[in-house]
Amino acid sequence: MSFDADVIIVGGGLAGLSAAITAVKEGLSVIVIERGEYSGAKNVSGGRMYIHALQQLIPDALERAPLERPITKETFVFYCSDDKKLTLSFEEKGKKNSYSVLRAKFDQWLAKEAESLGVLISYSTLLTGARREGNGIVIETNRGELRAPLVIEADGVTAPLSRFLGLRRMEPKYYMLGVKEVLNIKPEGDEGEAVTIVGLTKGYKGGVFTYTNKDTISFGFTLKVDSLYNSDKPSHQLIEEIREKLGLKGEILEYSAHLIPYFGYENLPKLYDANIMVTGDAAGLLYEDGFVIRGMDMAIGSGMIAGKAAKKIKDLGDYTKTDIYYEMLKESFVLKDLENAWRSFKVLEADEKIYSSYPDFICSALSKLFSVDSNGRQRPLKVLLSSAKEKGVSVTEALKDIMEMVL
Amino acid sequence: MMVELLKRLGLNKYNVDPKPHIEVDENICIKCKEKFCIRVCPAGTYEALPDGRIVVHYERCLECGAALVACPYGSIKFRFPENGISYRYG
Repeated sequence: MSFDADVIIVGGGLAGLSAAITAVKEGLSVIVIERGEYSGAKNVSGGRMYIHALQQLIPDALERAPLERPITKETFVFYCSDDKKLTLSFEEKGKKNSYSVLRAKFDQWLAKEAESLGVLISYSTLLTGARREGNGIVIETNRGELRAPLVIEADGVTAPLSRFLGLRRMEPKYYMLGVKEVLNIKPEGDEGEAVTIVGLTKGYKGGVFTYTNKDTISFGFTLKVDSLYNSDKPSHQLIEEIREKLGLKGEILEYSAHLIPYFGYENLPKLYDANIMVTGDAAGLLYEDGFVIRGMDMAIGSGMIAGKAAKKIKDLGDYTKTDIYYEMLKESFVLKDLENAWRSFKVLEADEKIYSSYPDFICSALSKLFSVDSNGRQRPLKVLLSSAKEKGVSVTEALKDIMEMVL
Repeated sequence: MMVELLKRLGLNKYNVDPKPHIEVDENICIKCKEKFCIRVCPAGTYEALPDGRIVVHYERCLECGAALVACPYGSIKFRFPENGISYRYG
């Protein structure tokens, strides 16, 4: 069989473009297919990228990339019952570790970077099927077939390539739904804030977020799909009710939605198969530990590693040896961090208490600690224990959860 | 002030395919009481008729992919459209 390129990359988002840039620099021939009319046309992100991986890919990215604002303020808001609310805020002026981004702009820029290095991106090209033939893979698209000995799958959370090849079935429990509105509210100053809001979506697993962009605010929620099954209202109504409660005025500029992979380290899908390496959201590479939630640096990191692995595999002359990619991932921050986060992830994933009774318990205790009456004050520990009892929180279980989260 | 769904969808840039990219199995839907799809879909793509059938407004689709996990009974056949939505912010 004659091949069209050394590597075909399915998907021209962060993972695919990072793989393409890396593979081209390694001297491989690459074709990227992208179903959008431009890169980023089909992408939605909450809005924050930790930029270490981008800086590995493009060393002077900070000067050139269309990033929105550096996130220098982290705020957590816990809504409790009876109009109580707890807010925690941490500020670090001048910090340049993560930035808000808008993907339509960002991915188009990264695609231009890739194209200037000689990467061929075929836009408006939709994967319609895939099959194994000879020593390679045939990629079927609305514009005809492409053949390569090696394919990098970077087609996003729904992983169509893996599904076409029978490598994956999607299960609701491994996905969250993100629904987002970009609001025409111009934030003050030059630096940005990330706000995580818990307790506004009682009965669902997940939370609400806002990020400040240059001239707008990204607002939305991420909720487990299976917790939406029992919702008393559709997701498109829920988002508006939450916006009302938060008092976010401003005109809506865009309404968007996307699935989010929510596997966790020990439930990750198949990351490679003969002739195939799976990257980014398609590989389920979402990290969450209670402080940080990240997918975009994971996408860039896994894409770069796939690009490097492609060269090694080509040099070996055996395109079934994609386990090389997996071994490299295990040595990198991608799988190391995911493995490290697993215990925290499990608590966050399994535990509805995190989103309702724990905040209620803390709010109730704080309410008492900040009140004075004629019955006499009690020691803080006693206040905590009585509030726990009141809100049905088992102190032993809570301590166990805390230990799981921090150890 | 709540902004109606159709007004929000109207802000987006769509290039709707002539043929639908989503289909449902009428035999499954007519017997389905829960209609999870209506609660999950952020685009209001699925509308229940009084007789239990589901009308698919595929032109509203935000291509989030939730359709692939929205129906535990396997009624929804979803593939990505050739054209569809182009996000301008993302």
